[in-house]
Amino acid sequence: MALSKVDLANQVENQLPQNLVANNLPFRNILINGDMSIAQRGTSTSGVTSPGYYACDRWRVGFDTAGTWTISQDADVPTGQGFAKSLKMECTTANASLSANSAFIFTQRLEGQNLQYLKKGTSSAESLTASFWVKSNKTGTYILMLDDIDNSRSFSKSYTINSADTWEKKTLTFAGDTTGTLDNDNARSFDVRWWFVAGTTYSSGTLNTSWNSNTNANLAVGQVNLADSTSNYINITGVQLEAGTTASDFEFLPFDTQLQRCQRYYESNYQYGTAPAEGSSYLNVTFYSGLIAYVTTSTRLIHYYKVLKRTKPTLTFYNVTGLGAGTTTGRWQYYTSGWIETPAAATTGESRVDSICIDIGGGGYSIGSGYICAGGLAANAEL
Amino acid sequence: MINTIEKTYDNITNTNNGYKITYDNGVTSYVPLDEANTDYQAVQEWIAAGNTVIDNPPN
Repeated sequence: MALSKVDLANQVENQLPQNLVANNLPFRNILINGDMSIAQRGTSTSGVTSPGYYACDRWRVGFDTAGTWTISQDADVPTGQGFAKSLKMECTTANASLSANSAFIFTQRLEGQNLQYLKKGTSSAESLTASFWVKSNKTGTYILMLDDIDNSRSFSKSYTINSADTWEKKTLTFAGDTTGTLDNDNARSFDVRWWFVAGTTYSSGTLNTSWNSNTNANLAVGQVNLADSTSNYINITGVQLEAGTTASDFEFLPFDTQLQRCQRYYESNYQYGTAPAEGSSYLNVTFYSGLIAYVTTSTRLIHYYKVLKRTKPTLTFYNVTGLGAGTTTGRWQYYTSGWIETPAAATTGESRVDSICIDIGGGGYSIGSGYICAGGLAANAEL
Repeated sequence: MINTIEKTYDNITNTNNGYKITYDNGVTSYVPLDEANTDYQAVQEWIAAGNTVIDNPPN
């Protein structure tokens, strides 16, 4: 008997493997390292008071007179959800009397070219749904904010941590924005921000619960002060932002895939698990050979990045130990008749998104001869 | 916090190829001439705030 009607949508869906069914599409999570599994910079930093990237990759904290914090990759996770790590922020010096400009913001910054499918600024703009697991001793109202950097527009929503010291899953949906297109380039276009501290500059108005031009006083109204006690902490993991009005299951990526996504923004020549720092063993870094001397005082090394960088990165050099030469900050070691510390920190030649030319100064080089060297480097192309 | 910023020069071509930033904590970083690099953007803001970049071009 011939079919009189074909349900094409279901026919197609039924033929897809389980991991490709609707609302379970690969790379639907706009955010990178939402399960906090990658931590190239090290797993814990104490005494944090200034903005930057600490512990888990791609997650930036912003501070202004909001106490002092320890930020770490933590093994405390919600039970039975498949997560192995969370990011923990612990207050070590409190600020119970906030300044007007006090702020503590947990953010992921995003490139505009990865968000064009959201059709922001058009009549077809997609809604966005954020979902995440959170745990804190400090109950009360918290603010999650979407921030269109290109057009200075934002949208804030509040959520409540109901029970102290208990993992809770939060889901918030934001309507699409029909105003303000995102630049189609590699620059910072869009931020997702969790507020943890907000002084009156950011909280004295009425919460901005739809897309509007930024008004500072309306960004984080009602936010509790997570910095008001050294007993305070917050853990977060399973962070996902996706197009649409429903939250799908968290999208777990293989470790190597997640690591490569992070390395678009930051990588080092240290083996994974060792944070770039002065005084690490030479066994932890890439060992370079085949440097050719072009003058008697210098050789050149071409270092290829593991992943194409978002932009030409900033380079930081570190010394290494174990080779017998000096260990002055930022200086590498090279071998002629023995290991010798370079007379100054390494400097850069041609910089590209795929490689960097590094000048290894020294003495006693024979022009055209090959040499070996060792040292640490970190390449930062974060947003 | 940025302590000093110095122009860097390619040893082969003697052309300015970036900036060397020294932070208050002693860490030194090398910033390329790339407007999409956020440290380059910070250098421009530091200059716009009235600070002076050290410039010792090679002879």
